[in-house]
Amino acid sequence: MLIEKYADRIEKTFSKYPDKRSAVMPVLYIAQEEYGWLPDEAINEVADICDMDPTQVRSIAGFYTMYSEKPKGKYWLQVCTDLPCALRGADKFHKELKEYLGVEEGGTTDDGMFTVEHVMCLAACDKAPMLQCNFHYVENLDMDKMKALLDEWRAEAKEDK
Amino acid sequence: MSELVTIYIDGQPYEVPKGANLVDVAKFYADNGIPVFCYHPKMEPVGMCRMCLVELGTIMRDRDSGEVITGENGEPQVRWFPKLQTACTTTVTDGMVVRTNTDAVIEARDDMIEFLLTSHPLDCPICDKGGECPLQNLTMAHGPGRSVFYWEDKVRLAKHVPLGELIYLDRERCIQCARCTRFQDEIVGDDVLAFHERGRELQIITVSDPPFDTYFSGNTTDICPVGALTTADFRFEARPWELKDIASLDVYGPEGANISLSTRLDRDAGGIVIIKRVMPRQNEAVNEIWISDKTRFGHHHTRAAERLTKPKVRVGDRLVEAEWDHALEVIRKHIKPNVSVGAIAGPTLSNEDLWELRKLAQAVNAGAKLSIYPATMTGGDIIAQVGVGVGTNFKDMGSGTTIVVVASDIEEEAPIWYLRTKVAGDRGAKILVLNARETRLDHYAADSIRYDYGAAVSAVNDLAKHEAVTNAENLVLICGAEGMTLEQHGELMNACANLLVSTGHVGRPNNGLLAVWEGANVQGAFDVGFSTEATAEMMAKVPDLLFIAGCDPIGESAEAAGLSKAKFIVVNSLFDTPTTAVADVVLPSQSFAERDGTFTSGERRVQRFYPAQGVIGQSQTDWRIFASIRNGLNGSAVQRLTAGVFKELAGEIAAYEGLTYPALAVVERQFPDVGGDDLYYGGTAYQNNGGLGVQYPATSEAEGAKPSKFATKGKKTSYKGLTAIPVNRLYDRGYLFKYSDELMQQRIGEPFVVINPADAANIAGGSRVGVTIDGVQYEALAVVSEDAPKGFVLMPKRLTSQPGPFAPAAIETIEVIAEPVGA
Ligand code: SF4
Ligand code: FES
Repeated sequence: MLIEKYADRIEKTFSKYPDKRSAVMPVLYIAQEEYGWLPDEAINEVADICDMDPTQVRSIAGFYTMYSEKPKGKYWLQVCTDLPCALRGADKFHKELKEYLGVEEGGTTDDGMFTVEHVMCLAACDKAPMLQCNFHYVENLDMDKMKALLDEWRAEAKEDK
Repeated sequence: MSELVTIYIDGQPYEVPKGANLVDVAKFYADNGIPVFCYHPKMEPVGMCRMCLVELGTIMRDRDSGEVITGENGEPQVRWFPKLQTACTTTVTDGMVVRTNTDAVIEARDDMIEFLLTSHPLDCPICDKGGECPLQNLTMAHGPGRSVFYWEDKVRLAKHVPLGELIYLDRERCIQCARCTRFQDEIVGDDVLAFHERGRELQIITVSDPPFDTYFSGNTTDICPVGALTTADFRFEARPWELKDIASLDVYGPEGANISLSTRLDRDAGGIVIIKRVMPRQNEAVNEIWISDKTRFGHHHTRAAERLTKPKVRVGDRLVEAEWDHALEVIRKHIKPNVSVGAIAGPTLSNEDLWELRKLAQAVNAGAKLSIYPATMTGGDIIAQVGVGVGTNFKDMGSGTTIVVVASDIEEEAPIWYLRTKVAGDRGAKILVLNARETRLDHYAADSIRYDYGAAVSAVNDLAKHEAVTNAENLVLICGAEGMTLEQHGELMNACANLLVSTGHVGRPNNGLLAVWEGANVQGAFDVGFSTEATAEMMAKVPDLLFIAGCDPIGESAEAAGLSKAKFIVVNSLFDTPTTAVADVVLPSQSFAERDGTFTSGERRVQRFYPAQGVIGQSQTDWRIFASIRNGLNGSAVQRLTAGVFKELAGEIAAYEGLTYPALAVVERQFPDVGGDDLYYGGTAYQNNGGLGVQYPATSEAEGAKPSKFATKGKKTSYKGLTAIPVNRLYDRGYLFKYSDELMQQRIGEPFVVINPADAANIAGGSRVGVTIDGVQYEALAVVSEDAPKGFVLMPKRLTSQPGPFAPAAIETIEVIAEPVGA
């Protein structure tokens, strides 16, 4: 249960807002961290915590692209392919990354490790190709660097287990 | 009305109320229909659809002198907004200039329609809204006349999504106006509908549990500007252009909701005209454009297979069908001088029925007892004295008004009053809820005052010192009878009246008392001279000759069992019931849909309803049946119409003096003017063409009236041991609603009782229990919850076919019959 496991963080989040309802977005992030995405179970918990109707919470999750309504890999790789990035080769990079991992756009590797998708501007055009991995920026990429990183993350995931 | 300002629409000046919405104003004052999709006159504007774009400007004035600046030609100079503006988010101010017929505006409308249609399935030929669809109409009026619908790019979404049991969603047709979501959120306060995703993927969802489950869900299908929301009741049933609308009234509640019956000749119903659907009919003072789902979907009883088609006469221990003449003759034979007579009128008898019943009963015996069923509430005379003032309108209530609801779960008992109270609260009115338990309205209450069952009177007396009452400019009390005997309710009505009189809140609009009567015409029954006290007396001392009409006391109320002891019983009924089973003569009467008449609402508004449906079998209007019996006594025939009966009644009942059928049928233009061809504006609610009705004044409104004090004994009743509190549920198996179709049957649910955890030591929630009262066992599902106060068990009335208690009753035992399923 989120409310038990993250009691402190939720409490702290609430303190920043006039009412519980206003805190729904940060609480959704907490839920997403815990579940990896936002299944109905998570939505219901958040609704309870923020004293809202689950439909409203689901609506918010559906509107914002940074909430995931489908299961994601452990590492969620979002490559910016907007024009300035593309000019620096981001679209090619995006394509190669998918090929290397053997996934379609938005797909997840069979081992459940990586999900790749393209996103709109992440405001780091000068450091393209870049991506965000679970919302952390990784910049100035090429495929060699990327492969090394992927190995690193795989190893990290193994340790976690 | 508020301050007036001058605005110019397409060059013409109009004097309009300051701060009003531009769309409303243009339509009402300038007859200029600015097209809208998302805007709805009953909800806050959101400016989502951009259909209402207009050119907007203000007349320029000199900053220092305030003089209007004129150009070379002497015309005032206008400062125009550089771009088109949404009219729906604009409130009018002095000197506002609007253009709605320029090329820019026409092109914008054209573009918006074109844009909407790129994502619309255009399945009008199979769409229920076709023919009364705002999108169709506005497309014809403002659209480009050609489509840029790319087949490859067609939006494909689910087309038959049940949002609950009553409402279906077609996701492709939705044009994303958010009227339905806003209705649920703003008006009903149950935000179970919302948008999901964005852009062309945007769609209505509900993931709530239960899903779309309010008592008002049907209204969303009226306001949806396309066929995205349809009712399970009317889906694929008829085309709008085949339907004829007949003005009528809700038969279930005291609010007097105005409805329109959409009727059509129907093969499946044996070629008679039947009701295909029930729609709201606009009456801004009564129900605006809202009706409850019970009102909307509860029309099937009018032509249920169980309807009686012929009179029946007792032969030995059987009732056998007979001709009318014979049945009436049998009754007349039993009318002997000096027999004691009683009449029991159900809550849906019209004023005309009541009048003729009274005349019949009194013709037999001047001392006849005239009584009302159900005998749970009293004080019709108090309402006639200190009821809400003429011109009272919940719509005008806001800050400065206090609305007190006492002893009523008003959402269940009078859903339209609930809705309007809630919305008045949103506008700033203070809501006080006094009850022994929590009800839905508590969510919106400025203060919830809990008393123990039996102590309502002193809770009301204490209100005199409550800050929300002492500071109120306007005060309305809405009084129910939950957890009371008839006598206790009499006390409570007195206490309420007393509070209003002593604080000076009587005799003017938006002040006074309302009683949550259990039915559409209980007020009328009191006015015509019937009473619930008579019912109680009659149950104690049963008369020889008994007329029962429009109700099933023996089937519903445990207290009524003794009535069967009457020597000769005549029952007018739509159906065979436990009451007709003990009758000597059963006469088939007509439902409200087959006949005309008047009802008097809880706000004392006398309103007409009209014949809509073909007559079932040989059924007759109640008043005509009574008149036939009475006239037969002296050999004359009934030679009058309903209007004639009303005329006679109005001549004899002081409060109804001067009321006539034509007066009740008068219609005035209402603001906002919803209905007619202007479907786009307010939805498919019907324009009122049947009359707004007339609210007769309470006696406290007369010049120089000094309403006397109402005395209460202020006695508290304390209950010892576990006590059953009968409560009302909107959906029940009462006399009429019992014969609803499947759709409603599943909503009524099985009988249950609510027990406080402290009283449920050995009872698990979900188990089947037997509650024994007065030696009779009632079987029900046990709900263990704090909703029931400690020491009390809530027992909804009329959920089973077994007659139950209508007044608080001591519980002898509760035994578990079966443990919860799966335990
Ligand atoms: S379902 Fe109807 S009312 Fe609801 S948003 Fe769509 S078009 Fe509007
Ligand atoms: S934006 Fe004004 S009606 Fe929709």
